[in-house]
Amino acid sequence: MSIKYTLDGIEVIAEPSDTILSSAVRAGIDIPTLCFDKRTAIYGACGICLVEVEGVPKLLRACSARPQEGYVVRTDTDRVVRARKTALELLLSDHTGDCRGPCKLNCPAMTDCQKYVQEIKNGEFKKAVETIYEAFPIPASIGRVCPHPCEDACRRQLVEEPISIAFLKAFAADKVLAEDPYVIPVEPDTGKKVAIIGGGPAGLTAAYFLRQWGHAVTIFDQQPKMGGMLRYGIPEYRLPKAVLDQEISIIEKAGVVLKNNVKLGKDIQFDDIRNEYDAVLLAIGAWTSVPMRVPGEDLDGVEGGIYFLEKLGLGEKPLLGKNVAVCGGGNTAMDCCRTAVRLGAENVYVVYRRTRNEMPAADIEIEEAEEEGVTFKFLTNPAEIYADENGHVAGMKLQIMELGEPDASGRRRPVPVEGAIEDIKVDNVLMAIGQVAKCDGVDGIELTKKGTIVADDMTFRTNIDNVFAAGDVTNRGAGIAIEAIGEAQKAALCINNYLAGDEVRYKKPYFVEDEKTEADFEDREKQQREKMPGLTPEERRDNFKPIYFGFTEEQAKNEASRCLDCGCHDYYDCRLIDYANRYDVEPEKFPGEVHARPIIKVADPISHNPDKCVLCGLCYRTCDQVVGQTFIGLYNRGFSTIVNPMVPADKAATFCATCLKCVEVCPTGAMKSEIPVMRRVER
Amino acid sequence: MTQDDVIEQIDISGLRGRGGAGFSTAFKWRAAKNSEGDEKYLICNADEGDPGAFMDRAVIEGDPHNLIEGMLIGAYAIGASTAIVYVRAEYPLAIVRLEKAIKDATERGFLGDNIMGSDFSCVLRIKAGAGAFVCGEETALIESLEGKRGMPRLKPPFPAQSGYWFKPSNINNVETYANVPWIINNGGAAFAAMGTEQSKGTKVFALSGKIKRGGLVEIPMGTTLRDVIFDIGGGIRNDKEFKAVQLGGPSGGCVPKEKLDTVIDYAELGKTGAIMGSGGMVVMDESTCMVSMAKFFLDFTAKESCGKCVHCRLGTKRMLEVLDRIVKGKGEEGDIEKLEELCYAIKDGALCGLGQTAPNPVLTTIRYFRDEFEAHIKEQRCPAGECRDLITYSINKDKCVGCSACARQCPADAITGELKSPFTIDPDLCVKCGNCITACRFGAVEVH
Repeated sequence: MSIKYTLDGIEVIAEPSDTILSSAVRAGIDIPTLCFDKRTAIYGACGICLVEVEGVPKLLRACSARPQEGYVVRTDTDRVVRARKTALELLLSDHTGDCRGPCKLNCPAMTDCQKYVQEIKNGEFKKAVETIYEAFPIPASIGRVCPHPCEDACRRQLVEEPISIAFLKAFAADKVLAEDPYVIPVEPDTGKKVAIIGGGPAGLTAAYFLRQWGHAVTIFDQQPKMGGMLRYGIPEYRLPKAVLDQEISIIEKAGVVLKNNVKLGKDIQFDDIRNEYDAVLLAIGAWTSVPMRVPGEDLDGVEGGIYFLEKLGLGEKPLLGKNVAVCGGGNTAMDCCRTAVRLGAENVYVVYRRTRNEMPAADIEIEEAEEEGVTFKFLTNPAEIYADENGHVAGMKLQIMELGEPDASGRRRPVPVEGAIEDIKVDNVLMAIGQVAKCDGVDGIELTKKGTIVADDMTFRTNIDNVFAAGDVTNRGAGIAIEAIGEAQKAALCINNYLAGDEVRYKKPYFVEDEKTEADFEDREKQQREKMPGLTPEERRDNFKPIYFGFTEEQAKNEASRCLDCGCHDYYDCRLIDYANRYDVEPEKFPGEVHARPIIKVADPISHNPDKCVLCGLCYRTCDQVVGQTFIGLYNRGFSTIVNPMVPADKAATFCATCLKCVEVCPTGAMKSEIPVMRRVER
Repeated sequence: MTQDDVIEQIDISGLRGRGGAGFSTAFKWRAAKNSEGDEKYLICNADEGDPGAFMDRAVIEGDPHNLIEGMLIGAYAIGASTAIVYVRAEYPLAIVRLEKAIKDATERGFLGDNIMGSDFSCVLRIKAGAGAFVCGEETALIESLEGKRGMPRLKPPFPAQSGYWFKPSNINNVETYANVPWIINNGGAAFAAMGTEQSKGTKVFALSGKIKRGGLVEIPMGTTLRDVIFDIGGGIRNDKEFKAVQLGGPSGGCVPKEKLDTVIDYAELGKTGAIMGSGGMVVMDESTCMVSMAKFFLDFTAKESCGKCVHCRLGTKRMLEVLDRIVKGKGEEGDIEKLEELCYAIKDGALCGLGQTAPNPVLTTIRYFRDEFEAHIKEQRCPAGECRDLITYSINKDKCVGCSACARQCPADAITGELKSPFTIDPDLCVKCGNCITACRFGAVEVH
C-alpha cells in the first residue's frame, strides 16, 4: 500500500519500502548526501541529508527514515540548513587539498591555467584554447602581454622556476588561430540589446560573453579599430596587431557589432544609448596621462607616454630627438623607452625615483630594455624641465633620492638627498607615471575622488539603472589587462542576470586551499623552464618586429610537462565543494587540529588521500557489499579513523580486483586511480 | 504462564531499561515477540563501559544465575531460542563465573532443549567484547556480535524488527534482566509498589568520588540525591563543601547543590539535564574544577567515538579543543557560545546515543557553572584551583617550619631551603603535582 506525504509542499507517493530519500529522488527533489548509494546498505554517516518532519522533535536522516502517511517533510527550514551547514563545516575543518591550483586562484579572470597547461602537455591544443575561452577571448594577445600573476603563484617555483604559463597560452592560441580558429557558440537570440562603450580588453570580453548568451551586442569605440590599450598602448614588437585583429574578428564573427570612430558625448549621446539599449556597459579605460607637476612639463617636447604610444598605434611616426628621458618605472615606461630606441633615439634614459627592486615593470621588460641600450637612472626624480631658446626641451634637472622607511605599499619611500642634483641633456621627455580615467560625455554618473566611475564590486552596477561599468575606468583605476578582463567577465554575468530580471550578485566561490613548501617537492627532479627563442638585442633595436618567435610544439609540450598539476582532479565531481558552496559555509568556523597524512598506496593503480577523505564509507562498503571483497576497511577510532587497505600493498594484487568501484563512488576524490574513472553513485 | 502473561507482568511492574535510556522493557519484549521471524535472539548487554561504573560486573560475578534466569524468562517471552551475553573482555572473572553458571544450568536442564520438560528450548552463550565503549550502544553491539567493526546502525529499523543477523532481537542490560526473576516471583504489582509514578522498583548506583562511603548502593526509586549522598554515602570526604554530582557518566550530566533534593526518577533527573544512566554517580567537592570535569568526560567520548558520523567524530574533537584551551587559560571570548552551538549541533546530528548524549556533561556544566567557565576565559583563573596551567604553588613563610618534608617529595627538585627556616618553590621548575601539599603537615603549601 502506498503512502502519501508532502515534501517541501509537493505531494509525494512512497512505497512501504521507500525512505524519504528514495521517494524524493523519484519525485525529482534533490536531497544532498555524501554517503548514500543505493547499492549499499544504509549507513547514515555524513549527516547532510537531515530533514525536518512536522511534529517529530528530532531531525531525521532522509537516507534511512521511512515516510509515514501524512508526514509533512521539509528540507529547507532554518534548522535543516543550519544542521547541514554545520556538518559541512565540521568536515571542512579537517579536509586538506587544493580545489584549484594557485595559478588559477591568482588569475584575476580565474583562467584554468592548470587545465590548459595539462592539455598542452597532452597535445590537445584545441581543447586548451577552449579552456581559455571559458574565461575570456583574445588568448593569443593576452598570452603575449600579460604580466601573468598566475606564474607568480606557480608552485613550480618551489622546485626551480614557475611554468611559462603565459607563453604556453600564446603558443596554443597561435597554433589554433593558424589551423582551425575557435568559433564562438552562440545561444538563440534573447531579443535583448546591450551597448558596450569601449572596445578594449574589458569591452571585448563582456561582448564575447553577452553575445554567447544570445544578446545583441554593439561595441562603440572612439578609435579607428577595436582593441583599446592592447592596440594603442602596447607596441607592435610585443603584440603584433595582426594577431589582435584575428582574435577580434572571431568575436565579430559571433555577431558582435563593432562601431569605431564613435566618441561618446560627440557622435553618440549617453542618454540616447541608455534608452535604446536594455543595458549599457561602460568600459572606456583610463587614457589620460598623469601630470608630474614639475616646472617645464608643458614645454614643447614633453609628452604623456601613453599619448606617444597612442600616436604610434594610430600609424603616426612621432618625432623624437637623439636624447630621450622616460619618467616612471612601470610597463608603460618600458614600452616608451624601448619604442624610443626603435625610433632611433641614441640615448634613452629611464628616470625612476626608487631602485630596480621596487620597479613595478616586469623583470623581463627591464632586462630587455637594458639589452637594447636603455640607461636606467635609479633614485632620481624629475625636479625641473628646462628649454632652449626656442622653447623646446633642452634638459632636465634630476633630484637624487635615497630610500627611507617603507610606505603604505610596503616599498621603501624615496626621499630627496638635499642639494644633490643631476643635470641631463634631453630633447624629449615622456611622462609615464600613471594613467587616469576621464569620463567626458557620461552625464549623471557618480565618480570617485580619482575621477573613476563608482561601480559596485559585486554587481558592477553604477548609480544609473541600466548602466554597468568595468575595467580601468572604475573604482581604483588603471590596472593590468587581465584584471579588466576578470571584471568584465563578472560584469557580463551580472548584466545577463539583470536582463533576465534577477539581481544576482557575483559571489566568489569558496575553494579549499592548501599551503605547500619546498619540502613537499623535494623529490622532484629539477627541469629548467624552456627558453623563449627570439631576436637578439642587435636584431631588434631598429625595428618593430615581434621579438619572440613563440615556442615550438616540442618546447611547449616540454614546458607544460613541468607543471606540478597541483589542483584537485576531482573538482567537478566533488560533492563536498558543491555542497559547501550551496550552503554558503564558513569554512574557518571550527578551527582545530588538521591531519597531515601520507598518501596511501591501496593497490596499483589506486591510491588514497586520507586528508581529503570524509569517511563516508562508500569505498569500503562498496568493496564489501557490491564487489564482495573486503579489501579496504576502517582503522582506529574517533578523530584518528582512517580508511586503509586490509592487507599490505605488496599482497594487494591477490585481494584487490582493481575493479575501481571504490574510486567510482568516492565523493571527494580521496580515492584516486591512475586510470581515469567516471565518478558515479546510484541514488 | 504464557508468553503474554510474562510480558503482562513486566508491563504491570513498569520496569524500564536500566542501561541508560530507560525504555519500557515490556514494550520492547512485546515488539520482539510480535515481530515476524522464524528465529529470534535475546541479547544481554554486559558491555559496562561508563568510567567508574561496575554494577553489572557485581551482578555477574556475584549472582550469575539471577541473570541467566532473567534472560531465560525474557527468551521465553519473546520466543527466542538463542540468548547471548555480550560482556566486556575486561571482566575476566565475570566471564569465568558466567561460564560456570551456564555449564551448571545446562547440566541441571535449566538451559538447552526442552527446559524443565517444557517445549521451550534455549541455549545461552557468551561473546566477549573487545573494549570499545560504543559497543554498549545496542546496534553497535549487534554489529560487533556479527564480527564486524563496532559501529552503530541507523534506527529504525529497531533491533526488535531487525537485529542480530537482521532477525528480531531483544537487547536489555544486565541489571534489567536481573530484576525480572523477582518480578515474576513476586508479581509486577509488588515491584510497581516501589518507586515513583513513572519510575518503578529499585536502581543500583556506583557511588564514588569525594564521598565518605563509596561503593554499590541499591535504592528504591524516588529517593533524593541528598539522601543517597549524605545519608547512605555519609557525606563529603574531609567534610568539604559539596559541589555537584555527575550522573550517567559520559552521556549524563552534573546536578549542582541547589538541585540536591531532586528525586531519583527518569523524568525528574532528565529535567536537570542529567540522566538516570546506568548508575554512575560521581560526587564532586569544591576542589573539583567543573571545566576540567566536562573535559574529562568529553575526552572519553571523543576517544571512544567510532568515527562513523561527522558530528561525533569531528564535533566532539572540536569541542575538546575548545575545552582544552579554556583549561589552559587560553580561552577566547565566544568560546562558551561556540561550545553550546556545537553541543546542540551534535545532539541534532549525531547518529547514535553515544554522540547524541556526548554534549550532556558540557551542557550541564555550562548551565550550572557558567561563572567557572568565564573565570577561566576572562581572568585566566581556575576557581577550584585544579587547572595546572592556571595555578601556582607557594610556601607560606609563616606556617613553614623548615622540615624539608616537601622538598624530599618534590620530583622536580623545585623546592629548596635551609633546614629550620622557610622553604621556597621555584615556579619555573614546579610541575604542580601536589606532592608537597600531601607531604606538608603544617598546611604551609598554598595554591593560587
